[in-house]
Amino acid sequence: MFEVRSDEPDYAFLQDRETQTKNRYGKDIDLAATGDALHEQSLNINHDEAIGDNPNRYKQHGFFFTADNCIGCHACESACSEKNDNPAHIAFRSVGYVEGGTYPDYQRINISMACNHCDDPVCLKGCPTRAYTKFAEYGAVLQDPEICFGCGYCTWVCPYNAPQLDPVKGQVSKCNMCVDRLEVGLKPSCVSACLGKALDFGVIENIPENRVQAKTEIPGFPTVDITHPNIRFQQTRTTHREMTRTDSVPVKYHRDDQAGLFKPVVDKKDGEAKQWNLRKLLTSHESAHVIFTLCTQATVGAFLLMLLGPWLGLPQLALVKQAPVFLPLLATIAVLCTLGLYKLNMHLGKPHRFYRGFNNLRLSPVSREIAGVSLFYTGLLGYSVLAAIDTGFTDFIAGMFALLSLIGGPVGLFYMYKLYRIPARPFWDHKQTGTAFVGAALSLGSLILGAVAIAALPLDAEGMQPLLQTLASTMLVGFLLEGIGHLLHARDMQASEDEGAASYYRQTTQFGKSFQLRNALLAVAIVLAASIMLAGLSGVLGMLAGLLLALATLISSVFGRSLFFVLVIPTTMPGAFFWKNPGFVEHARETGLADAPQHGIVYERHHAFKVDELVQTVKETSLADMIEHAKSILGK
Amino acid sequence: MLFGRNQKNPITITDKQVVKWTYSTCGYCSTGCAIEIGSNADGKPVASRGVGGADVNRGKLCVKGIFEHEVFEAQGRGEIPLLRGAAQQSFDAVGWDQAFDKMAAEIARIQAQYGRDAFAIVSTGQILTEEFYTLGKLARGVIGTNNYDGNTTLCMASAVSGYKRSFGSDGPPGCYEDFEHTDCLMAWGSNLPEQHPIIYWRMKEAQEKRGFPLIVVDPRVTMLAQNADIHLPITPGTDLVLQNALIHVILAEGLEDKAYIEANTNGFEAMAVEVAKYDPTNAAKICGIDEDTIRTVARLYAKAERAMSIWTMGINQSTHGSDGVVGINNLNLVTGNIGKPGGTSLSITGQCNAMGTREWSSCSGLPGYRALEKAEDREEIGKFWGVDPEFFPKQRGLTETDIFPAIETGQIKGLWLVATNPMTSMPNTARIRKAFEKLEFLVVQDSFADVETMEYAHLFLPAAIWAEKEGTFTNTERRVNITRPIKQAFGQSQSDLWIFNQLAKRFDQGRRIEFPEQPEQVFEEMKFLSKGRLMDVSGMNYALIEANRGIQWPYTEQHVEHGERPKAGGVRLYTEPRTFRHPDGKAKLIALPFIDNNEVPDEQFPFWLNTGRLVEQFHTRTRTGKIGNNNKFSPTAFMEINPDAAIELGIKHQSYVRVVSRRGDAVVMAMLTQRVPKNMVFVPFHFFDCVNRLTLGLLDPYSRQPAFKQAAVRIEATDQVAAARLNKESRGY
Repeated sequence: MFEVRSDEPDYAFLQDRETQTKNRYGKDIDLAATGDALHEQSLNINHDEAIGDNPNRYKQHGFFFTADNCIGCHACESACSEKNDNPAHIAFRSVGYVEGGTYPDYQRINISMACNHCDDPVCLKGCPTRAYTKFAEYGAVLQDPEICFGCGYCTWVCPYNAPQLDPVKGQVSKCNMCVDRLEVGLKPSCVSACLGKALDFGVIENIPENRVQAKTEIPGFPTVDITHPNIRFQQTRTTHREMTRTDSVPVKYHRDDQAGLFKPVVDKKDGEAKQWNLRKLLTSHESAHVIFTLCTQATVGAFLLMLLGPWLGLPQLALVKQAPVFLPLLATIAVLCTLGLYKLNMHLGKPHRFYRGFNNLRLSPVSREIAGVSLFYTGLLGYSVLAAIDTGFTDFIAGMFALLSLIGGPVGLFYMYKLYRIPARPFWDHKQTGTAFVGAALSLGSLILGAVAIAALPLDAEGMQPLLQTLASTMLVGFLLEGIGHLLHARDMQASEDEGAASYYRQTTQFGKSFQLRNALLAVAIVLAASIMLAGLSGVLGMLAGLLLALATLISSVFGRSLFFVLVIPTTMPGAFFWKNPGFVEHARETGLADAPQHGIVYERHHAFKVDELVQTVKETSLADMIEHAKSILGK
Repeated sequence: MLFGRNQKNPITITDKQVVKWTYSTCGYCSTGCAIEIGSNADGKPVASRGVGGADVNRGKLCVKGIFEHEVFEAQGRGEIPLLRGAAQQSFDAVGWDQAFDKMAAEIARIQAQYGRDAFAIVSTGQILTEEFYTLGKLARGVIGTNNYDGNTTLCMASAVSGYKRSFGSDGPPGCYEDFEHTDCLMAWGSNLPEQHPIIYWRMKEAQEKRGFPLIVVDPRVTMLAQNADIHLPITPGTDLVLQNALIHVILAEGLEDKAYIEANTNGFEAMAVEVAKYDPTNAAKICGIDEDTIRTVARLYAKAERAMSIWTMGINQSTHGSDGVVGINNLNLVTGNIGKPGGTSLSITGQCNAMGTREWSSCSGLPGYRALEKAEDREEIGKFWGVDPEFFPKQRGLTETDIFPAIETGQIKGLWLVATNPMTSMPNTARIRKAFEKLEFLVVQDSFADVETMEYAHLFLPAAIWAEKEGTFTNTERRVNITRPIKQAFGQSQSDLWIFNQLAKRFDQGRRIEFPEQPEQVFEEMKFLSKGRLMDVSGMNYALIEANRGIQWPYTEQHVEHGERPKAGGVRLYTEPRTFRHPDGKAKLIALPFIDNNEVPDEQFPFWLNTGRLVEQFHTRTRTGKIGNNNKFSPTAFMEINPDAAIELGIKHQSYVRVVSRRGDAVVMAMLTQRVPKNMVFVPFHFFDCVNRLTLGLLDPYSRQPAFKQAAVRIEATDQVAAARLNKESRGY
C-alpha cells in the first residue's frame, strides 16, 4: 500500500464525512451496493493484493476546482508528473488559461484539468482495444498502456484532452486518479500539491470547506452533455464578457448573459487572408487516415458496383466482370485496399498489436469498422484468388467470399462514418461526413472501374460507351452527394456556436485557397461527369475530358479529405502560451526547437512493426486463452 | 458497476522504488522549504517531496522543488577541473593539484604585480553558510582582497542597506507566521505566486481564515495583483513618491502611532518635513495612482490593528531601492508596525542562501553582521582567526556592480566567480563581455561546466551541487535549516568547502590559519562568533536543526540553558521597545527626497522595459533550463506586450520581434496580453543573451544594486526565419 507518512499534513487527507446519493445527472454516487460482488476486491496495484480501507471506496469521486484561486504555478501538473515519472512531453494534468479585459482591469483565469473520470466515458467506449476500465472503486476510469495499440482514438473523443498519446512510446496513458493514494485515504498528488487553494478532490457533489458553489461551467470548459464529467467548479469572481485564449486555437468564449454561460465563438486570430498551406495540408500526421479512408471507400465502392451494379438496374456494368477487365480490376482493388490497410496499421503506435483492434466490438465503432473492413478485405482476397482459378467447383466458395465482402464493406463504411461522429469534434460531427464517405465510394469506385476498363479495352469495344456513360452517372451521383453535403456543412458550421465555426474559419482563411481549389475541382468534375454521361467518351476530346475528370476527382478527393482531417478543432481545454499550445508545438517542430528534450515537445514519428513481439505473444498465448479471449469479445 | 471489461486487470502505477529519504533544504529560492530526496537501491535520487512536519512548507513544494532530484545528473555538470592559457584556446582537463597550484600562482602574481585588490572575488547566494564563512575567511584573512562581493548585490543589497539604515542592522524582523496575524498586507513589487509560491500559499491559507485586505503595488497585472483587494498599477520607479504620499496622508490625518514613534524612533521631524511635500494630488501625477486611492490605502494601512509590508525586486532593483526599503520601514515605524505579530517589514529574499551570505560571508564586512569599519570588529575577528587585524581593510571594497567597471578601467586583473553567472545575470551584457575580455585570469567555480561565463574562463573548478554536500542555509524568515548529503559528488567535482580549504593551503597564511574540514566544525566557529549578537545561533546544532525542521535565529545558548525548545515559527526581531541596532536602540525615520534619474521612455524608445521572474525557472537556468518538466513551461524567451500597442506596430501574437535599447538588442517571441500597459513590455530575465543585452542597470547610491526594471526600448519587426534560428542557437539549454 501507499506509504502514509507520520507527518502527513491534514490537507492531504480525504475529508468526505457525508455524501449524497445521486449526482446531478441522476446517477447513483454509490457504484456498488453493499453486498455487491464488486465489494472487497483488491485493486491489485502493482500486484499488491491488499484492499484499501477508504470508507467511500465504492463512491464516485471527482475533482473540485476553484477557478478564482488558481495561480498557474504548475505545482499540480508537476506533482503528477513527478509521481508518474512522466517525461517532459507528457502530462496527465495541464494548466492553460483564458484572459479578458483591458489593462489594468485585466483578468486571467487559469484552468487546471486532468481526467474527469466521467459517468459516460467516451474514451472507454471508443477504445478498440478495450484498454479502459471504469472501476467500481472510486469510479476511476483507468487505462492500461500495455493493452493500448496507440491508435489515439480516445484522444479524439475526449473533450478534455485527458488521454495522452506519447509519440515516443507509441501508446496512450492518462490520469489514474492516484487510486493508490485513495486506498489509504489520501487525496491525489496534484490536489495535495496545490499552492493556490484551487484544486480539491472528494466524493462527487460534495462541496469542500469554505466553498459555496459546485457548478459545471467555467469559460473554456466544454459542455458536460458529452460525457457527464465528474468535476465541479467554483467561480464566483466577476468575469469579463469575452475571454480569449492565448494558444493558437481560433476560439474565444463569449458570455451569454441570460444563461450565464460562456459559449465558444470564432476568434479570427490569423486575419482573413486566404492561403494554400499545402505542406501542412498534405503532409500532416493524419495523411495515413486520408489514404486509408479514401482507399477503403474507393475499393468498397468499386467492388459493390462491380458485383451489384447489374442487379441494381445497371446492366451496363456487367462488362467489368468479363475478361479482359475482370482480373486486372480485382487486382487493382486488392492492391488499393491493401495499401489503405497498410497505411492504417503502420500509423498505429504499436502496429504489431493490430489484432487487438477487435477487442471492443461491443462498444467501439472503431472495432466495428476494423471488423467490417477486415471482413471485406478477407472476402475480396478470397474472391479474387478463386476468380483467378475459376473452376465450377470453386464458384460456390467464391460466392461465399463475395458475400463476406458485400456484408463487410458496407458495415465497415457505416462504422467508419459512425466513428467520426464525435461530439467533441464538431467539424466532423455532421451528416456531411457520411455524404462525403458515400460520395467517395461512388465517385472513386466508378473511377476505378472506368480506368481499368479503358486500360483493358479499346473505347469502341462493344458495351464500352454505355459502361462509361453509366459510370459517369454514378460518379455524378457521388459528386452531387458530396457537394450537397459540403453546402449543408458550410451552412451549419458557419452558423454553429462551437469549435465547428472555428474550423470553418480556418477552412476559408488559412486553407482558403486549397478549399477553393477543392470546390472548383468538384464543380469541374460534376460538369465533366454530366457531359460524359450524356455524350459518352470518344475521340481526343473525350479522352481529354476523361483524363481531366480523373484528375479532378483524385485531387479534389485528396484535398477534401485532407481538409477534413487537418481542420478539425476539438473541444479541448485552452492551452498556455507555450505548453499545450498547438501553434507553438508546430513552431518548435518546424524550427528544430523540438530537438532538445527539455523543451517538452517531440516529433511525430512512425513505429516499427515488431515481428518478434507478435511471435512471442502468439507463442505465449494458448489456444484456450485465445478462445477465452474471443468469447470475452463477443460475450458479456 | 465495473464498466469496460469482464475481469479486473492488475493496475500498474509508477513505483520509483525509493529505499531512502534524505532530509534537505531546497536549493533554489529563499523560502527555505524542507525537502526530502528519495533514492533507490542504487543510490540514485529519483523522487522529491516536501517535509510534512516542516513549518515553512508543511509538505508542499513548488514546481522547481518537485523535480529537484533531477539536478544532480542535469546536462552540463562539471566533471573535472579545466585549464587553458587564453580564452581563445581549448580547455585541458587537469588534476585538482595542478588547478590549485595554477590558481594560487596567478593570484600571487596578480596581487604582486598590481596590488592586493587587483584580484576580485564574486560569490553567490547559492552555497552553504559554512562555505560562505570559509570563503570569507579565505578572502579576508588569506588572499586579502577587498574587492570581494556576492551576487546578492543583484537582488538583496537594497534590502540589506535599507534595514541597516533604518534599524541599524540587516535582518528581516518578520516571519511567515505574520500572515496569520495581520489585518492588512501590502505587497510592493512582489509577485508571490510566481516568485515564492510556497509563501503565497502560506499567505493564502491565512487569508482564507481571516480575510485581511491585500494591497499590491505592481505595474503589471500579476496573479497577485489580480487577486488583490486593491491593485496600484504604479508608474515604474516612483515607489518613493507613493510611500511619501501615504505617510503624508497618515500624518495629515493624525493616523500615526505617536507613542511608538516617540519611544522607538529618531528623525521624525526631518521626515515629516519631506513628506509634507508629497500631497496626494501632486504625487498622483508622478506615480500614476489617483489621489483618492492613495488616501484610501493610507487610511486602510494606518487604521489596521496590525499591518505588514512585503517586497521583492520591484523595490530592490531600482535606482532608489535602498530608499524604497527605508520608505517601507518609515511607513511601518510611523504606524507602529515593527516587531509585533502581523506588523512588519518583511523583505522576501531571493536565493536559497542569500541570508547566509549576508550573515556570514564577510562580503560586505566581517562575519556575523560585523563591519570592517569598526575597529573592535576587526580586532575580534582577527584574534579569533589568527590574522593580524591590520591585514583587514578599514572600509568595505567594491560591490559586484563596481567590480566590473573596475575591470573595465584596469584596476582589477583577476576574477574568481563562485556559483554565479554574470554573463546572463548582469545588466548590459555588452559591457560585461568587454570587461571579461580584459581579464588576465578568470576562475569559474560552478556545478555546471556549460555556464555561459565559461566563454571567458581560464580555469574551471567543478563544484559539487546542493545536496551532494552538507551544511546550512538561512531563509527569508531567518530560519537556519540543514541539507544532508544524498550522494557522492558528480564526477571529480568537490564541495565548495573542500575547494576553499585546499586553496587556502596553497598560501603561507592559509597554512597558519585553521580551516576546519567538517561543515559542523565550521558551524561551531560560527556559533561562537554569533554569541550575544542579533543573529545568535549558539543554541543550535545540526541534529537539533534537523529535528526541528529548521530553527529561526536568534536561538541562543541561553535558550538551551533555560530549556526553551525552538519555536516552530513566529520568532521576530525588535519585539521590545528600543531594541533596534543603532547605538541608542532607536530606529531612524529618514527623509527620502525623490530624484527621478531613470531612463524613461521617449520618442526613440517609447516603451518601458520591465523584467522579472517565472515560477518554473530559476535565475540563469543552469538548473531549471535542463529539467524538462520545469523548462517546458517557458522553453524560450518571450515578451509580454499590450495588444493595442502590438496592433499599431503590426506585431502578431507568437511571432518574433527585435527589442532595441540604447545598449543593444534582443530577439524574443511576442505574447500579446493586457497584463501590461500599452507603454510597457515585460521580458523574463532568465534567458541568456536576452533581456540583459537591453538593461541599463543604473546603480542605487547606497546598495549599488542595479535598476533592472526601469529602462526604455523600442520594438521592431524582424525576419521570422532568421529570428527563429537565432533564438534556437541562443538556447543551448
